[in-house]
Amino acid sequence: MSKNLVELIRRHHEQGAPTALEVLKAAMDDHGTITDDDRRVAAERSGLPEATVYGVSTFYDDLVHPRGRRHVRVCTGTACFAATGDAHVDQVREGLGLQLGERSADGETSLAETVCLGLCHSSPAVRVGDVIDAGPGVVERVLAGTERTAPEPDPVSLLPEPVLTVPGGWEGLRAALDRNDPEATLEDVKAAQVRGRGGAGFPAGMKWQFARAAKGEHKFIVANGDEGDPGSYIDKWLMERNPALLLEGMAIAGFVVGADHGFVLCRSEYPLSKPALDAAAAQAREAGLLGENILGSGFSFDVTIIEGAGSYVVGEETALLASIQGLRGTVSARPPFPAERGVHGMPTVVNNVETLCNVPFIASRGVDAYRDLSPGATPGSKLVCFNERFAKPGLYEVPFGMTMRELCEDVAGGLVDGHELKALQIGGPLGGILPASKLDTPFDFDALAAEGCMVGHGGIVGFDETTDMRELARHLLHFGASESCGKCFPCRIGLQRAHEMFAADDPVDRQRLEELLETLELGSLCAHGGGMPAPIRSLLAHWPDELGLAVA
Amino acid sequence: MTSLTINGTPIDVAPGTTILDAARALGETIPTLCFDERQDPFGACRVCMVGVEGAPGPLPACTTQVREGMVVDTRDPTARRVADAVVELVLSELPEPPASHTELAAVARQLDVTDTRWPGRVHERDHDERHPYLALRHELCISCGRCVRACDEVQGTFALTATGRGFDANIAAGMDQGFQASACVSCGACADTCPTGAITEMSLLDLAPEPLHEVTT
Repeated sequence: MSKNLVELIRRHHEQGAPTALEVLKAAMDDHGTITDDDRRVAAERSGLPEATVYGVSTFYDDLVHPRGRRHVRVCTGTACFAATGDAHVDQVREGLGLQLGERSADGETSLAETVCLGLCHSSPAVRVGDVIDAGPGVVERVLAGTERTAPEPDPVSLLPEPVLTVPGGWEGLRAALDRNDPEATLEDVKAAQVRGRGGAGFPAGMKWQFARAAKGEHKFIVANGDEGDPGSYIDKWLMERNPALLLEGMAIAGFVVGADHGFVLCRSEYPLSKPALDAAAAQAREAGLLGENILGSGFSFDVTIIEGAGSYVVGEETALLASIQGLRGTVSARPPFPAERGVHGMPTVVNNVETLCNVPFIASRGVDAYRDLSPGATPGSKLVCFNERFAKPGLYEVPFGMTMRELCEDVAGGLVDGHELKALQIGGPLGGILPASKLDTPFDFDALAAEGCMVGHGGIVGFDETTDMRELARHLLHFGASESCGKCFPCRIGLQRAHEMFAADDPVDRQRLEELLETLELGSLCAHGGGMPAPIRSLLAHWPDELGLAVA
Repeated sequence: MTSLTINGTPIDVAPGTTILDAARALGETIPTLCFDERQDPFGACRVCMVGVEGAPGPLPACTTQVREGMVVDTRDPTARRVADAVVELVLSELPEPPASHTELAAVARQLDVTDTRWPGRVHERDHDERHPYLALRHELCISCGRCVRACDEVQGTFALTATGRGFDANIAAGMDQGFQASACVSCGACADTCPTGAITEMSLLDLAPEPLHEVTT
């Protein structure tokens, strides 16, 4: 990330300037396209150079697809693929007479793809304006102009004492402030062994320790709510239905590391998230739980809620920091780590939303109570969510260590309508694919890693016996190639080539594919290029006969 | 000072030094595409991968800082395999082989990656010659970011930007209205650092029509 641009942004932020991305998003919302005049205005208001603003305007999905008065976005996430094999995409396209990314000549209707809307429990999903409809009949309703907001199920907790699925009550922050010993709270978070819930599983306490030790005029807490994993709607629920718990976790993190401000970046694919977080923050300010001198403790902390603009890789922490500052959401090499140079060049903690939501319980109830939630496994509580192929799809709060069989059969009720489970993709698009024969694998970091899979963020997408595994490879690599940020060469070119291998009807040369997967795994700058080979490797290992490989 | 060995030779360098700088101090050659010593390391091209004892896989020499006792092997077979594969991928995105005088062609020769086996999409031809002597040939851009960083870090003009994403990533001058209408001050730093000839000085273009003779020195 350019140091010069970050410094420019910091200085303009001090003067109350908006980010370039905010100005461009507003222009898009206003008139459905970005003009050079919009870019000039964005440059002037944000203080960024015109060329930089132009680069931003060409990066994000939300800024590049022209919008008609009726903007239709069809979900091409993996749960929707598992539900229809992408038939719903073709139906919407044909019904509207528009290609993806096209706007009708009269400016009335436009169509774009979006990944994913977080309605995976009711796939397929289609968004019209800010109304998200899903489930049987969705395509017909959208084509008839009678779309309605799809209902979302309430979560179920399997824990004797729910942690994430009860409304946040700020007891954790009160306890931490009463104790008034940030170092001790830090030691508790470390002892509780909170592993990051966003995918990488990095110990949260370590990040806090680095940022606490770093020197900076200001420090920041960033909640990563860019839950881009197709098939996941965990952070969506937390941000929309339990936002106070997240804000409390952020305030505790701020108290520990000495930060006075936090940012939440929530996805634009979740139109309800920012309003819910803004409302919760306003409520907390009124109650004296955010703002100056919280509860008379002398500790001050406030938050800014930012909406993204459509980019999967922005979920990577350095890309997230770039996006928060209104720049292109591309990955930066580390060092410097965010704990040294983050938002505005200041020490910054970046934690996933669910990770931060685990913290209030530790602060209020203590380390032992937290570790007892998942006996003999990774400590703490975990949310998992199931896609529409299951009989009881939805969000569940579970301990670590249950087997995938218990989760899929006992908790989610097996598949619908007598379908047979063929495979699971766990933890997002960068996770391996577990064949149904391996359902006795425990849901935990090491056990899943041994099968080439991962906990990831906790989305569980089941595929039934009708799934065409070559089509699944094509689906995943289409996602991988179109979401590559374009920074590192292996991912930028390699995922395009991998997608081309499966997009054509030609046989796939297995050796060339495996060489390419190695280049991606070992050469990529971030987990996007590095992780996309994992599901392809699983498909090669378990379903080689279904992939249309060239006969050697 | 931090002590490490590179290809069996011990060296002491200041803490915070990158493997690339340490190796070059020893006279070792590590090929790079996105690196320019006048700019902060970028870590994009992944051609400078090296083996480091104990690391789970090869590491980029340009962005990895040395650690005490590090054992680096610039000829690590896995690292070289990845670098070769990346250069082959780079050649596959261009509609034509790079001109032989370019840095990309030199790196490809050095790694003995003479051709690409990848079919598929290539960058579309798109020439911008509106500026009197700076020509932009978008199809030759490999998104190494050197021109953008030269304009930012060296010149402080910010007339260039990366554009698009994924395979469609490229560069633009100003708001893609060309150098002349942008904030460009015609310093030529971008053309000077470009490793592929995507940005060139027109006079050089005129003097050196393709193909150039290959000169081995």
